Formats: sequence, structure tokens, C-alpha cells
Amino acid sequence: MSVADHHVILALFENGIDKDAFSPLLEGLPGLLTIGNTPGKELFAEKMASMRLSPSLVILSSRLYPRARPELVADLKEIFPGAEILLITLAADPLPSLEQLAVDRIKHLLVTPEEDEQAGISSLQNAICRLLVRSPWKLQDYVKPGSRVHEFPLVSSSQKEALIATLEGAVSGDSPEMELLRQRAALLADEMVENALYGAPQGKDGSKLFSKGEDRVIAAEEEISFRFAFDGETLAMEIVDGWGTLVPEMVVDFLARNQSGMEEELVEAGGRGLFIIWRFMDHLHVNIRPGMQTVLGGHLKAISTLDCESPRGFSISTNYLSA
Amino acid sequence: MISSFKVITRSTDNADYIALLGNIDASAEKQLQSIPESLENQLVHFDFNQAGRINSMGIALLLRCFKQIREEKKAKIILRELNPTNTLLFKMTGVFMLASHEK
Repeated sequence: MSVADHHVILALFENGIDKDAFSPLLEGLPGLLTIGNTPGKELFAEKMASMRLSPSLVILSSRLYPRARPELVADLKEIFPGAEILLITLAADPLPSLEQLAVDRIKHLLVTPEEDEQAGISSLQNAICRLLVRSPWKLQDYVKPGSRVHEFPLVSSSQKEALIATLEGAVSGDSPEMELLRQRAALLADEMVENALYGAPQGKDGSKLFSKGEDRVIAAEEEISFRFAFDGETLAMEIVDGWGTLVPEMVVDFLARNQSGMEEELVEAGGRGLFIIWRFMDHLHVNIRPGMQTVLGGHLKAISTLDCESPRGFSISTNYLSA
Repeated sequence: MISSFKVITRSTDNADYIALLGNIDASAEKQLQSIPESLENQLVHFDFNQAGRINSMGIALLLRCFKQIREEKKAKIILRELNPTNTLLFKMTGVFMLASHEK
């Protein structure tokens, strides 16, 4: 973890039990300071000032925020305006309230698996490194080293079904888990391609240039490309478009709006495709270079639980550049 | 699995039976739009046994169709033969708020 050597990382927990639950994942992290719940903004600001801290990253437990201290992120942003905020939650804990996350513009939520400590350590350390050096999440982060990455540059909307068939063919295996993984993979690839083909192309006024389902040729400068990698257990997928029209602040808004599922808003809910991608993935990453490029991807495991309640992670970054 | 969308309907004395075949996406719009007006009963069964992928556009079209059936025909909607992926999809997108699931 050499990247963290020159940074101060603050980790805030609700109490000792909460801290203990995450301590194996954070052990040995250089520059880490863990702090218990200090109720009240003034008291907290005073404590921070007395410690003369200037953290690059603040890690927050979801048991503390938004559950116990919904105002905490607003306070932190005032006290440490330059710090990135990473919200962490255990897979067994309930999904944090997305409404509050949307209000506070939380961009990074990491779900750490309880049953696999090594995987938890590695995903948390990877997230911390990426946030500290502003490096985007990549397909290769999710699959075993050496896994083949399949890439499909798209030149026509008619390629979608062939692309999905290739993806389904690559997820081999007859078990019920693999059959489910194939079904989820096909749905996610469909949504990702549709988003890039019909959601991303927008005029200067934000109006959509193409209608969903319309047959269309993709211009070379649109640079739409789908890629995936499968290592036998984990499937990682990513789509890139050269439009860069997705508004970072809108991503969690879309997720929150669809998660709340109000009957009167059901039919016309916006961002449903993005919501479906997020819910079916274990972790969603989006990196936006406004007006230039959107990369949207993530991963799903064959053994992942299929329900509507388990937390799912996301990372939404702007202008992160690959090394 | 049939990839192009198709609807097969039949009616009995007290219920309409509608089988949806193939992927449900933007290409299903016209056929789904025509379902509500074709109904004869206040009980409608939708069979998804031969349905394939249902994307977000397909979900929007199904929600519109079910809402119209409930509001204009005052009919009860029952969904059957859903695969696990589509069951979860319907649960997370609120489809089951408009139609019940026969397991």
C-alpha cells in the first residue's frame, strides 16, 4: 500500500463493535486514523482542529452514516473540503438510504464481503488506492490475473444480439448458478449497449439524438466499445462511449429514485436501465470525462445472492485517468 | 428461445390468457400497446414461459400496459412462469405493485 504512505486517511465508526467488524480489513494501512462517533458538528470540528488533520480520504461506516448521523457528510465536507469520501458497508448490513447519499453526493460505496476476509481486504485496498491516485476502476480489478478480455468495437446497432450470444457462450457451465449468471449477463449487456447507443448521444440541449430500438450506424468518433472478461467465477463487463454525456451527480439520483419505487412514478421513472445494471452487479463503476468519454462497468459473481435488499456498491468518478 | 417478440392470446368465459414470446424490448411496443383493448374479461393471465430477456424499455412497456389494464379495464393481472432473473427484475422495478405473481 505504498500509495497511502503520504496520505492521512480518517476512518469513522459508530462504536467499538462497528470498528472491530472492519478492523481486519484496515489493519496495517499506513496513515490511518480511526475515530469513534463524536456527536455534534462543533465538537467534531474542534477535535479535528486540535489534531491538525488534513485527510485525503475519509472512510465512513454505513452504521454511522447515514444511519446514526445523517448530517455527518455535510459536516465533513465543510471541515475537509478536499477529502474524498468512501462509504463502506458489510454485505450482511442493509443497503444505506440512497436518498441521503444522493443529497450528499456520495460517489463511492463499497460493500465488503464478510465471509471472505482476503477478498474484503483486497477490494478495500484497491478502492483506497484508486481514490488516492484518482485512477479509474478497471475490468482487470475484478477477475483473476491473466483472464482474457474480449473486446467488441460497435459499428452498428445490429451487432447487439451477436455480442450477447458471444458473452453467453463464454459463460460456460451447466449448473443453475451459471445459467443464472448467463441470464444476468445477457440482460446487463443489453442495458449497457442500449445506454451507449441511445442514452449517451445527446444534442447540445441535452435532447436524445436516437430513439430506443432504432436501427442505426455508429460513427467511428462515437468510439462505442463493449468488453468483458470471465474467470470461471466472476464476470466483469464494461462499455465505453465517446460522448461523455452522463452527469455524475445524476447517477445516484437515478438509483435513489428507482430504489424508492413509488407507484405513481413507476411507469415513467428515468434511469431505470442504470438502476437495473447497478442492482444486478456486485459493484458498478462509472468514470466520466465530460464531453469526451463515459466508461460504465462492473462485475458480478456466479455465487452472488439474488435479492432486492442486499447492498450493492458503486464508484462514480470524474476525469480519473488511466495510468 | 424466440428472439423476435410475439403475443398469443386466447379467452375463456372468465379470463384472458396472454403468452408473451421472445425478448421484450422497444420492438414489443406496438404489440403490447394493443393488448389492453383486446381484453374481454376482468381477469388476465400473462404467461412468461417463452419470454426471453426483458430490458428496461420492456419493463416500461409492461408497466404501461398493466397500468392501462388496471385503470381502464378494472382487471386483475396474474403473472406466471417467470424465470428467477425476471422475477427479481419485476420485484426491483415495481411490476409486482401492478400485477400479482403466481408461483
